[in-house]
Amino acid sequence: MKNPDVLEKAGKKVVLLGNEAIARGAIESGIGFSACYPGTPSSEVGITFGDIARDAGFYFEWSTNEKVAFEACAGASFCGVRTLTALKHFGLNVASDSVFPVAYVGVYGSLVINVADDPFGHSSGQSEEDTRRFARVGNIPMIEPSNTQECKDFTKIAFDMSEKYQIPVFLRTTTMVAHSVGTVKLGPIKKPKTTGKFVKNYERYACIRPILQNMHERILKKTADIEKEYGSKLNRVEGDTKSRTGILASGVSWQYAKELELNNIKLGKLGMTFPISKKFISDFIKDLDTLIVLEELEPIIEDFVRGIAKDVNPGLKIHGKDILPRVGEYSTELIQERTCPLLGIKKPGFRKQDTLIKKIKSRLPTRKAVLCPGCPHRSTFFAVKAVLGDKPVYAGDVGCYILGLFEPFHTQDFIFSMGASMGVTHGIRKVSDQKAVIFIGDSTFFHNGMPGLVNLRYNDPDVLVVIMDNNITAMTGHEPHPGTGRTAMGEPREPVKIEDVVRGMGIKNVRVVNAFNQKELQKAVKELTSKHGVNVIVSRGMCRLLFKKMMKRKGQQLPVFEIDPKNKKNLSVIDRFACPAFVKKSGKYIIDPDRCWGCSVCSQITPPGAIKPKIIKKGDKKHHGV
Amino acid sequence: MVFNLLLTGVGGEGVLFTSVIIARAANLEGYEIRGTQLHGLAQRGGQIPTHLRFGKDVFSPTIPRGEADLILGLEPVEAARSCYFASKKRTGFVVDTYSIVPIYTMLHKEKYPELEEIKKLIAPFAKKAVYVNASNICDDKLGDAIFGNTMSIGVAVSAGLLPLKKNSIIESIKYSSGKYAEKNVQAFRMGLEYKEV
Repeated sequence: MKNPDVLEKAGKKVVLLGNEAIARGAIESGIGFSACYPGTPSSEVGITFGDIARDAGFYFEWSTNEKVAFEACAGASFCGVRTLTALKHFGLNVASDSVFPVAYVGVYGSLVINVADDPFGHSSGQSEEDTRRFARVGNIPMIEPSNTQECKDFTKIAFDMSEKYQIPVFLRTTTMVAHSVGTVKLGPIKKPKTTGKFVKNYERYACIRPILQNMHERILKKTADIEKEYGSKLNRVEGDTKSRTGILASGVSWQYAKELELNNIKLGKLGMTFPISKKFISDFIKDLDTLIVLEELEPIIEDFVRGIAKDVNPGLKIHGKDILPRVGEYSTELIQERTCPLLGIKKPGFRKQDTLIKKIKSRLPTRKAVLCPGCPHRSTFFAVKAVLGDKPVYAGDVGCYILGLFEPFHTQDFIFSMGASMGVTHGIRKVSDQKAVIFIGDSTFFHNGMPGLVNLRYNDPDVLVVIMDNNITAMTGHEPHPGTGRTAMGEPREPVKIEDVVRGMGIKNVRVVNAFNQKELQKAVKELTSKHGVNVIVSRGMCRLLFKKMMKRKGQQLPVFEIDPKNKKNLSVIDRFACPAFVKKSGKYIIDPDRCWGCSVCSQITPPGAIKPKIIKKGDKKHHGV
Repeated sequence: MVFNLLLTGVGGEGVLFTSVIIARAANLEGYEIRGTQLHGLAQRGGQIPTHLRFGKDVFSPTIPRGEADLILGLEPVEAARSCYFASKKRTGFVVDTYSIVPIYTMLHKEKYPELEEIKKLIAPFAKKAVYVNASNICDDKLGDAIFGNTMSIGVAVSAGLLPLKKNSIIESIKYSSGKYAEKNVQAFRMGLEYKEV
C-alpha cells in the first residue's frame, strides 16, 4: 500500500509506520543510494524506497542478498554518496562478514545500517537474536528509536554521525517500533547527491597487518569520541530526578514505562546502546537505592550498569532479568505486574477475566497462517507427496513455503536459514541412505541457495531439488528479484532464468514444469527420483496473490470452481490438499466462491467431473459466503 | 484521554487499510496517534490484530489489557479472540458477522461456533455490542464484500462507539482509497444509517 504521506511537505504532521518514518528520515538526509534484501520486520523501508525513489531522485534496488546489498551501499559510500541499507537481524548475520571490515576501513558518505530485531518472532522463525551484541563485536555505534517520530529523527542523527566519524552506524528497531504507527512531524527533504568518485588509496582500504592494528585503534577512538559527543544528546532524564528509585529503559520499553505514568520515579532513556555513555550512567545511578532496567531480550544495559555501579554506587540494588523475562516481548501490563512491589504501584488483577478468557479460547477454532488459495506451493507439495509419500527427508527453506511445516503437508522437516536446505541435506545424504527432497523458492535460491547447489553438484549425492519459482519474493510483500524481469524502480530487465543457472552448474537432469499441472509435476517427480545424482525440478507458477492483484488492476475476474451438485464421488483427497477455499458443512464439501482463486488444481486431483469451472451468466447474483 | 481501538480480522480482509482510514481521520482532528501494524506472513490467512490509540499523551503502541474502547471485528471468531483487551465497563464491539472458517476446522475436526455462541462469549466483555452482516450487505448493494470494512466504521460512529467526526472519516476515505473512494464513502454512509434488526 503506497503511502503518499511519506513525501508530504515539511512541517506537516502525518501518520507513518516506523519503517516509513525511517525512509522519510533518509530522504530528509539526502540519501543518494540504497540497496536492500527484504526481511520482515524491516521490509517496508525498502518497499517505501521502491515506491518513492524515482520521484525523490535517488537510486534503490532489491539486491540478491543482504551481504551484496550492504557491499553495494559501502561502494557508493566510498564514492561520497549517502546510503542506507535496511535488514532484519538474520540479514545482518548474512552481511556481517563485510560489515566488520568496512567498519575498520571507514566510510565517506554516510552508511546507515537499519537492523530490525524480532523478539517473540512475529515474522521470524530462527532465533530471538539480539543484534545489540553485533555492535559490540564490531565496535560499531548503535542508536535505538522508541517510537515513530524518533524513527525519523534518529535516522537523520545516524546519517550525520556516520558521515562525521566516517563509520557505519546501526539504527536498531524491534517489531513494535518498526511496525508501530504514529504521528510524525516532517522536516525538509534534502536534495540527494547521487554521484561521486572512488579515490584510490591503498593504505586506507587494505585490511591487512600492520595497518589492521592501526585501523583497530582508530575505530576504538571513533567510538570513544562518539560516546562523548552523543552520550548527552541521545540519552535523557525525566520524572522525579530526586527520587531514589530509578528506571532505565531503551527502545519500545521506554514507551511502556511512560504509559505507567511513573511521575515520582527517576526515568532514564537510553537512545544510544553502543557505546553506552559511562558518564550518563554514573550520574544517573549515583544517588539511587534501587534501579530497574527495562530492555527486551539480553541483559546488555543491565550488565553494563553492574560494571559501573561497583565503583560509583556499590550498594545499589539492580533489577532487570531477575524479575523480567529474557524471552519474548515486554508490554505495559507485564512491566506493571513485575515491578509493582518495587515501585509501590497497583498490581493489575485479572483473575475473573482469566477464567473467561480460558473458556473463550477453548471454544474457538485454531487459526494459523495458511498458503493462499491457488498457491503454486500447495500444488507442488501435493504432487511430491502423492508420488513419494511421507518417507523421504523433506528439507525446508525460508519463504511462504515454511507453511509446509503444518498439516497436512509436513514437507519441511527442518528450516534454518536462507539456503540451508542444500548444505544440511548434503550432510544427511552423505551419511544416510534416506531419500531426500529439497524445497527452495526462487528468491531464496538467488539469495544463498546457489553455493549449496554447486556443492551438491560437485560432491554428487542422490537428491531431488525442487525449486519453486513464483516469480517474486512473496512472503515479505512482493519484492522483485533477478528472475522477475523488472527492477525495484520499475525498469524492465532480461530475467535470470533459474534453469539456465542450474544447467550452467553442470546439472544434467533439469525439468521445468507448470506448477498448476499435477500430471506434469507428478511425472517429473517420478522420473527424476529414479535417477542418480542431483536432479532439479523448476516448478513454475506465479504467486497467486500477485496474479490476483494483476487481474484486479486489469479489471478482470479470476475463474471460480464449484463442486458438481450431483456429485456422489469421494472427495476426501481435499483434506490432503487443504485449500482454504473449501469448507465442510454437515459432512459435505463446499467451495466458497469468494475465496476460490481459480487455480484448477482441485479439479485435477478429485475424480473427473466432480469439480468444474463455474459458469457465471450475466445478471447472476453472486452468492457470497457459505 | 486516550481512545483505544482494536481492529481484528483475517489476513486479506483489509484490516490494515481500515486502520489507515481511521488513523488518518484521527490525525485530521489533531490527535496524537500510536498503534501497531503487523506485516509479513501473518497476512496469509492468519489473524491480524491491529492496535490504534489516539488522544493526548499516548505512549505504548499496544493497548493495555482490558482497556480497549472499541473492538472492530471484521470476523466474528477473531472478535471473540480479542476479548483479552476488552472489559465490561469500557468496551464497545462492532462485529461483521461474515465468518471465515479456518481450514484447520476441517483438518482438526474442530467446530466453528454458531454466531449466537460467539455473542454469548463476547457479552461479559462488552458494554455494548453491535452485530452487522456488513460484508454481505455491501456485496449485495455495492458488488464487493470488501466494502464491509468501511461500512463497519460507519456503524461504529452511528452507535456512538467511535468518537470521530463523519467529515474527517469521509475526507480520510477519499484520500486513502483511490478509484474506490466513492464506493467506500457510500459504504460508510450505509453504516451510518444502519439500524440493527
